[in-house]
Amino acid sequence: MAYEPPKQSLAGQIFDVVTLLVLTIGALYIPLYLGLAGAAKVPNPIANPTWESLGQNATEQQQWAALGITDPAAANDIITARFDYSFSWSSLIIMAVLVIGYFVMVVRLSDREYREVIEERFGTKRR
Amino acid sequence: MENVTSTAAGAERLRLARVLGPAHVWALGVGIVLVGEYMGWNFSVGKGGMIAGLMACWVAGLLYTCVAMIDSEVTSTVAAAGGQYAQAKHIVGPLMAFNVGLFLVMAYTMLEAANAITVGFLLDTVAGMQGQAGLNQQPFIVLSIMFLAWLNYRGVLATLTFNLVITAIAFIAIIALFVSVQLGASAVPLDFSAITSDPLPYGWVGIVASLHFGLWYYLGIEGTCQAAEEVRSPARSLPYGTMAGIMTLLIAATMTWYICSGLIPWEYLGQAGTPLFDAARITGNTGLMVLLFVGTAFATLASANGCINDASRAWFSMSRDRYLPSWFGAVHPVYRTPYRAIVFLVPIALIFALGAPLDQVVTFSILSGLLGYTFMTFNMVMFRNKWPLDKIKRGYVHPFHPLPTIVLLILCSTAYFAVFLGYGTQLSAMMCFYIVASLWFHFRRYKFVRRGDQFTMPWPKPNGY
Amino acid sequence: MWNILEYAAWALSALFGLLMIADLVRIDTTYDNELLISSREGEIEATAERHEI
Repeated sequence: MAYEPPKQSLAGQIFDVVTLLVLTIGALYIPLYLGLAGAAKVPNPIANPTWESLGQNATEQQQWAALGITDPAAANDIITARFDYSFSWSSLIIMAVLVIGYFVMVVRLSDREYREVIEERFGTKRR
Repeated sequence: MENVTSTAAGAERLRLARVLGPAHVWALGVGIVLVGEYMGWNFSVGKGGMIAGLMACWVAGLLYTCVAMIDSEVTSTVAAAGGQYAQAKHIVGPLMAFNVGLFLVMAYTMLEAANAITVGFLLDTVAGMQGQAGLNQQPFIVLSIMFLAWLNYRGVLATLTFNLVITAIAFIAIIALFVSVQLGASAVPLDFSAITSDPLPYGWVGIVASLHFGLWYYLGIEGTCQAAEEVRSPARSLPYGTMAGIMTLLIAATMTWYICSGLIPWEYLGQAGTPLFDAARITGNTGLMVLLFVGTAFATLASANGCINDASRAWFSMSRDRYLPSWFGAVHPVYRTPYRAIVFLVPIALIFALGAPLDQVVTFSILSGLLGYTFMTFNMVMFRNKWPLDKIKRGYVHPFHPLPTIVLLILCSTAYFAVFLGYGTQLSAMMCFYIVASLWFHFRRYKFVRRGDQFTMPWPKPNGY
Repeated sequence: MWNILEYAAWALSALFGLLMIADLVRIDTTYDNELLISSREGEIEATAERHEI
């Protein structure tokens, strides 16, 4: 006996779409509002910058000039900015568990549903 | 009547129009991705230096070659709108399919929003050069989304022919820049001295970190299989268009790295908004500058256009199976496009384009893509196990199985780590989102789905069931 | 000049939006919903390609 799904009302359909939307927008904006988002470079400007002390050779100086930056002081922040790649192992492990756990959960639940599908599709009576 | 097929029961049914050839598949795949050469990839140089940028370009290229090969085999066999979504449904199971469908809709809608933001930024730059500071970017962001949505609404053939033209122009612009700089059109010479004087400013971890944005060179090439129901001969055109696409991109990516790294100091390149346009500015050649401006604008529009196409196909296919409300699974009786899905996704894209910062949107898009590639690895293994090569005929069989799968899995793990360096919070937030959405689907939504109807391919029963 | 372009962009956006909405409403009221959502995955497969060796 094939499974006969219930008919969904219009209100139910709208409700389901709104649920998904709220989830999506939440996932994008919550880290933003909590101020946890983004990896910014931190500039470490040096004192009295010259092109030489910033490590730019003659050709590179020409290139900066072509970009409209002729004063080494203006390029100081751009050149000296660096990312910080230090991280804690505990948060790395939490993330790994989240990602792997997620895939394991999805595949296991999927397999349970998949067996029903195959059963109905290739059961004793082929449609 | 050509636009209606009749079934054995005699009831009339609508279907999407089958009008596309391999060139359109190429235009869809490359069109979405080529914008990555015009903006975004260069952050990989900022994250690890020039050499790291090139390594990221080729490592990501290898990752995507694996993706293209695996995807070509599966999709030449599961030729249905929704692409990877339909693959997951037939090979892994319904919940995985729901998740893959969400990856696709998220990745493409976010990328579409990012493109619209870039159009606004570009016009602001031009207005600034003409002395009009503080342009209101919103109308142009809205217009680009509205116009492309309307184009998509009106029919897939015109949409992708338009894409073919503007993608080709954007690609030719990159080649023209490369060739003319080689022939000495640039007032400033190429300089690669930073490779020796400042090889790896962050050490080896910089190479891993730069992989995060290295993905941006190719992100979206897998979108070609969304067109499966609209291609005249999917088993032939999809592998052909996808492989041609990845080759185009490898060439374009390497040329882009070469020109930009040679012409722009890497510290500037690592944070530039429009690197190819900047490189053209440095050459001091007005013709090249105009050409690369046009290229940037076209690449951005082509990408947004392809994204609307793909996101709406994924949303449409999910609705057709009642994973989402069935109301969205409608086909336009005249234009034969999934018109309700297209219209519905317009305000969603607008919310992200007008409300969220660019790097957030881009990261969300990259992460959704990455989850999709991870899915492809075990999907491929399960496909070969459930239906071995001698059981069903494939349009294309990829070589060296399971080597590409293993390489892809290793590269995906590395890419997760790269994203984790700096965007760990977003990664966690997004994993939570997909976990909650999965539980919601399994316990609430799945009861509206007809079980047996989900399996639509005329295949024999899978091994082991 | 750019101010005029801004207004033009708003106007065109509204035009494209209205065109889509108007057509959507027209189609939804003209055709039966059952026909519109009658598309099924895999139908093409049955006619065009059989995955047999």
